[in-house]
Amino acid sequence: MERSFKQEVQALRLGAGETFHGEGILAVTKALLQSGVSYVGGYQGAPVSHLIDVMVEAEDLLAELGVHVETCTNEASAAAMLGASINYPLRGAVTWKSIVGTNVAADALSNLASPGVMGGALIILGEDYGEGASVVQERSHAFAMKSSIWLLDPKPDLPTIVRCVEKGFELSEASHSPVMLELRIRACHVTGQFAAKTNRRGHYSTIERIAEPARFDYAKLSHPPVVFTQERLKVEERLPAAQAFIVANQLNEVIRGEMDDIGIIVLGGLANSVLRALARLHLADLFGRSRIPIYVLNVAYPLAPEELRAFCAGKRAVLVVEEGYPDYVEQAVTVELRRADLNTRVFGKGPLPKTGEYTSDVVLQGVAAFLREARPETVAVELIEAQARALLARKEAAATVTDLPARPPAFCTGCPERPVFAAIKLAEREVGRTHISADIGCHSFATMPPFNLGNSILGYGMSLASAAAVAANLDTRPISIMGDGGFWHNGLLSGVASNLFNKGDGVLLIMQNGYTSATGQQFMPSSPASRDGSAPGMSIEKTLRALGVKWLRTVRSYSVAQMAATLKEAMLSAERGLKVIIADGECQLVRQRRVRVEDAVKLERGERVVRTWFGVDDDICTGDHSCIRLSGCPSLTVKPNPDPLRTDPVATVIESCVGCGLCGEVAHAAVLCPSFYRAELVRNPTRWDRMRDGLARGVIRLFGGRDRAGAT
Amino acid sequence: MNAPSRPITLLIAALGGEGGGVLTHWIVSAASSLGFPVQSTSIPGVAQRTGATTYYIEILPVPWAELDGRQPVLALTPGVGDVDIVLASELLEAARAIANGFVTADRTMVIASSHRHYAIAEKMAMGDGRHDSTRLREAIAQNAQGSLIFDMEAVAREAGAMISAVMLGALVASRHLPLPQDALVAAIRAEGKAAAANIRGFEAGLSAAARASALPGAAEPEKRTQGGARRTRSLEREATRSFPPEAADMLVEGVRRLHRYQNRAYAKLYLERLKPIAAADHAARAEGRLLRETARHLAVRMSYEDVIRVAAAKIAPERIGRIERDMGAKAGERLRIVEFLKPGLDEMSQILPVPLARRLLAAAENRAWLRDLHFTMELETTSMSGYLRLWGLAKLRALRPWTHRYHEEQRAIETWLALIAEAAGHSAALALEVAECARLLKGYGDTLKRGRSNFALIEARVIRPVLAGQIPAAAGIDAVASARTAALVDPDGAGLSACLAEIERRTEFRLAAE
Repeated sequence: MERSFKQEVQALRLGAGETFHGEGILAVTKALLQSGVSYVGGYQGAPVSHLIDVMVEAEDLLAELGVHVETCTNEASAAAMLGASINYPLRGAVTWKSIVGTNVAADALSNLASPGVMGGALIILGEDYGEGASVVQERSHAFAMKSSIWLLDPKPDLPTIVRCVEKGFELSEASHSPVMLELRIRACHVTGQFAAKTNRRGHYSTIERIAEPARFDYAKLSHPPVVFTQERLKVEERLPAAQAFIVANQLNEVIRGEMDDIGIIVLGGLANSVLRALARLHLADLFGRSRIPIYVLNVAYPLAPEELRAFCAGKRAVLVVEEGYPDYVEQAVTVELRRADLNTRVFGKGPLPKTGEYTSDVVLQGVAAFLREARPETVAVELIEAQARALLARKEAAATVTDLPARPPAFCTGCPERPVFAAIKLAEREVGRTHISADIGCHSFATMPPFNLGNSILGYGMSLASAAAVAANLDTRPISIMGDGGFWHNGLLSGVASNLFNKGDGVLLIMQNGYTSATGQQFMPSSPASRDGSAPGMSIEKTLRALGVKWLRTVRSYSVAQMAATLKEAMLSAERGLKVIIADGECQLVRQRRVRVEDAVKLERGERVVRTWFGVDDDICTGDHSCIRLSGCPSLTVKPNPDPLRTDPVATVIESCVGCGLCGEVAHAAVLCPSFYRAELVRNPTRWDRMRDGLARGVIRLFGGRDRAGAT
Repeated sequence: MNAPSRPITLLIAALGGEGGGVLTHWIVSAASSLGFPVQSTSIPGVAQRTGATTYYIEILPVPWAELDGRQPVLALTPGVGDVDIVLASELLEAARAIANGFVTADRTMVIASSHRHYAIAEKMAMGDGRHDSTRLREAIAQNAQGSLIFDMEAVAREAGAMISAVMLGALVASRHLPLPQDALVAAIRAEGKAAAANIRGFEAGLSAAARASALPGAAEPEKRTQGGARRTRSLEREATRSFPPEAADMLVEGVRRLHRYQNRAYAKLYLERLKPIAAADHAARAEGRLLRETARHLAVRMSYEDVIRVAAAKIAPERIGRIERDMGAKAGERLRIVEFLKPGLDEMSQILPVPLARRLLAAAENRAWLRDLHFTMELETTSMSGYLRLWGLAKLRALRPWTHRYHEEQRAIETWLALIAEAAGHSAALALEVAECARLLKGYGDTLKRGRSNFALIEARVIRPVLAGQIPAAAGIDAVASARTAALVDPDGAGLSACLAEIERRTEFRLAAE
C-alpha cells in the first residue's frame, strides 16, 4: 500500500479519557469500533481508501475485537455483505466512493433496504464532489430517497462525525433501515480531535459466533409477494420511526439568532462554510454563534417535518443550502411548508448556483443575495451587500493573472502505463487512428496531454463493453483500455464474457501493474502478493484462456517497439474475434518503495548495486521536444539552452528519474534523436567491473577521450 | 480571555509527491502540541499524481484551556481575501493561488520557491513554451502584502532534504506563523522517519530565508561558449574589426564553432557569407540586428547535426566527467554510458559521397523496406569497442565536404542567405523575419524532415510572394512571422496549413479590393 498506517492503528486503540487526533475518515474508523461492529467491508477509492487500508493494517486489533474485514472486489459485493444484518443482530459497515460506487452497489442496496435490517447497517460514502473530484458529478441523495435509506451528512468536525456514526447504527436498528453517511473529500481529510471511547466488541462476532442459523422467514426476502408488504413497511413504518428517532436524539441542530424573521437551512457538511461566510459579514462569530437562526441538517434525508415547521414558523424567508442538483432538500422543504400552510418563502438555487462546489466565495455571495431578496428587518442589507462586494472584488483584482498552464495529474515517473500509450501513438502513425475506449484508473491520465487518447469513458471496467456497438459500426477495430483493477472489478464479466458470448471483435489492452494503483496500490486478485504475504493466485492470462480467448499476447509494457508491433498486428489481423494484449509492468511506485530498501541493504552489505539514470546531451538536443510529446514523464523536462547560438530550451532529465528505460525505447522506436543516453553507476563494483573499466579507460585515454581521471 | 475574531489561515500549494501532506502534518502537530485549536484539510485524493494540489490549515493561536469550553468553527475551504499565508513549492503554483483570488494585498504573505517545474503544456511545445517567470514574480509583487521568495529546491538539494522541510524553514523565518521554532522542530523529530534529513532541510531553509534578499534571483544559467584556438585568431580579429560591433560576439562564437566543427577554411567561409548580409544590414539601417540574427542562425546551420558531429559530441573529453558529476559518482564507483543510435538510410546518405548517396536514395524511392531500414544500436561509450566505433565515426570529419548532406546543406544555406539579402531590399524587418525562419530547421530524422518541409512551404507560399510583390510588404512581415509561429504549434502541420490558407485568403481579398 502507498501509505503505512502504523500510527493510525495505535490511535484506533485509544480508550475512554483519551483524545483522538487525526483525519476524518480515520475518526469514522475509530467510531465503527466504538460502535461494536462485527464486520466491515468496502471497495477502495478516494476519499475513503484509508478506511479499508487502516482496517487491513489493524489486523491484530480487529482479531481481538472479532471484527471480520473483507476487501471486496467491487462495491456490489461490499453492499451485498450488509445482507448479514437482515437476519442477524450484527452491526456492519461498508464503504466506497460515491456516486460511482453507489451506482455499482445499487442492485444490492435496493434488495437490502426492501426487507430491512435487524442489525445496524451503515454505508460510509466518500462523496467525490467538487475540487479534486475524479468522477461524474451527481448526488447520492437520490439513492437514499428511492430506496428508503437514511442519509446522514454530518457537520465536518470530528465530534459530530463520530456521533453520527454511533447514532447511525442506532437509527438503523430503530427504523430497520440501512443508513448512509456521506463525507465530502475535504471532510474525509479534515484533521481534528475528539474524546475517544473504549472500543466495543459486537454482541456476536468472529469470536462469539451465532449458534443457530436464522429460521426460514419469507418476509426477509426481497421477493414477491412480500416486496409489496415491504414497500408499505418502508413508507408507513420505518420512515416515521426514523423521523421519531431523529427528533428524539436531536440529530439535527438549531442555532438560535436574533434575526428571527429569516433563517438558513443547511446540510451539515456545508454548515462550516455558511458560518464562516456569516462571520466574514459580521453576522456570526468564530464560535458558531449566529445572528441569523440556522437549522443544521445532519440528516439530509428524511426531513423531520415537525422540527422544520417549528424552525420556519414566523419566518418570512429561509435559504436552503445544498450542493449539486436536483435541489431535493429545497423541494422537500417547500412541500412541507405548503402542507403546513406556512407562508415562509423558500430560497435556494437562485441566490446560490444550481451546480458546482459551494466554495467559500460562492456561499458568501449566495448569503448576500439571499439577504437582498429576503429583506430582514433587523439589519442594514445595503451594508452587508457592500461588504460582500468588497470581499469578492478582491478576486477580480487577481484576474490579472491569466493563462497559467494547467497542471493535471499525470503518470508517475517510470510508470509502466506511459510506454503503452507511446506505443499507441506510434502504431497510429502506421495504421491510422481508431476509436479508443478509455476506462477508469491511472491509465485515464492518457486522456490528457501529451497523449490526448480516449473517445469515451463509461465507468470502471466498462471500456470493452462500451466498445461493443462501436466495433460493429466502425471501419477500424476499436482499442479498449482496461486496468487490472477494472478487469476484476467489472471488466471480466461486463466486457470480456459479453464480447466472447456475442462473438465480438476488437482489441482489449489490459494494463497489468499488479495493484489498484490509482486508489493507493491496494491488493487485488492478480496481485503478486496479498495482505498476508501469499499470492492470491488468480491470473488474468489463465482466466482469459479459460474463458476461450484465442488471440492473447503478453508484452512487457516498457518494450515500446514490440508493443507497437503487437498493436499493429492486432489491428490489422484478418482473424475476427477479441484480441487481448496484456501490458505487463509492475506499478513503479510499489517497485521503487521495494527496490530502494533492497538497494540500501545491499549497499550496506557491500554488494554490487547499479543505479540507472537517463540523460540528454544538451549539445545534441535541438529543442524540438518530440520526446516529451511521446512520453510526458515528470522527470523529462526542459532547461534553458546552454548554447549561446540557440534559444529554444533543450530537454533534460532531472534527478527523480528511476531509469525505467522508456526514454531509450522511445528514442529507438520513434527514430527520434541520438541525444539520449543511459548512465549506469555501479556501486561496490566487482573485480570484473573494475578490470573491464580499467581496460576501457586505458584505451580511451590513449585516444584523448577523457579529460579527468574520473572517480577512481 | 478575549479570543481573536478569526484564525490564522495558511494555504499550501504543492505538486503531488512533494511532501505537502507531511509539511501540513508538522504544522498541525506543532499547533496541537501547544494546545491550539487547529484544522487542516486537503484534496489530494490518492490519485493526484504529480498534479497541482493544495492543503489548507486554520490555527487559532489560543490554547483550548482559555476558550472556556467554546468550540471554534473552522472552515474547510480557503476564502477569497481571507488567507494570511500562501506557501508554494513552486513559482507557477504561487501564481495559481493568486489567480484563484487567495492572495490579497491587505493580508497575504507569499512564501514561494522561485524554481520552475514546467507543466506539460510548457514542455511539449515545439519551440519555447515556457511561461515567463518574470511575469509570475511581478504578479506576486503586485498582489501580495509581502513575499519571501528563493530557490527552495536548490537549497533542498544542497541540504539533501525534501523541499517540504525547506519550506517549513522559510515559513518560520517569515515570522508570520504563530508557532515557535522549537515546537516545529519537535514535530519533525516526533515523525521519526528521515528526521535528521528533515531537520537539515528545515535549518537550511531557515538560514537561506534570512539571506533571501541577498540571494541571486533566477538568472539565466550561463551559456557554454567555445574557447578560441590559435588558428582562428586572425579570423576572430576580422570578425571584430570588419563587421559592426553589435554582432561581434556572435561572429566570434560562430568562427570558433565552425573551426572546431570542420576547419579554418569553413570558418572563413562563414565570414565570407556574412559580408553581403552586413552590407544589407547597413543599407536597410538594421543597426546590426539583421547581421547578428543571421550570424547566429548561420553558425547553427553550418554546424548541422550529422552523425559525425554526434559521434564527436559523444566522445568529447569533458562529457564523461560531466555525467559523473551529475550522477554524484563517488570514489571507487564505476560509470557506464550507453547511447541509443538508430542510423537509417538518411544517416547513411549523410556520410556517403554524393554519387553513391544519390544512387542509394534513388533506389529507396520505390522500396519502402529500404526507407524503413534502421539499425538499432545500443553502444557503450565507456567500453573499448563502443568508444572506438564512435571515434572512427568522428574521424570522418575530414571527408565531410565530399558527403551528400554537406552539398545539400550548403545549397540550402545559399538560397536562404539570398532570400535574406533580397528581403533586406524591402525592409530590415522583413529580412529579420526571413532569417528567423531558420529556427524551423532542427533535429534529426522525422523532425528534420518536418522542419524542412515547413520551411519550404513558407518559402514558396509566403516569402517568395512577398518578394515578388504579390503580398504587400507591410502585411508580408506579419505573414512570415505568423506562418513561422504556426509551424511550431503542432507536429501534424494543421496549424501551418490553416495559417497559410488564411494568408492567401487575405491576399486575394486585398487584391480583389484593389
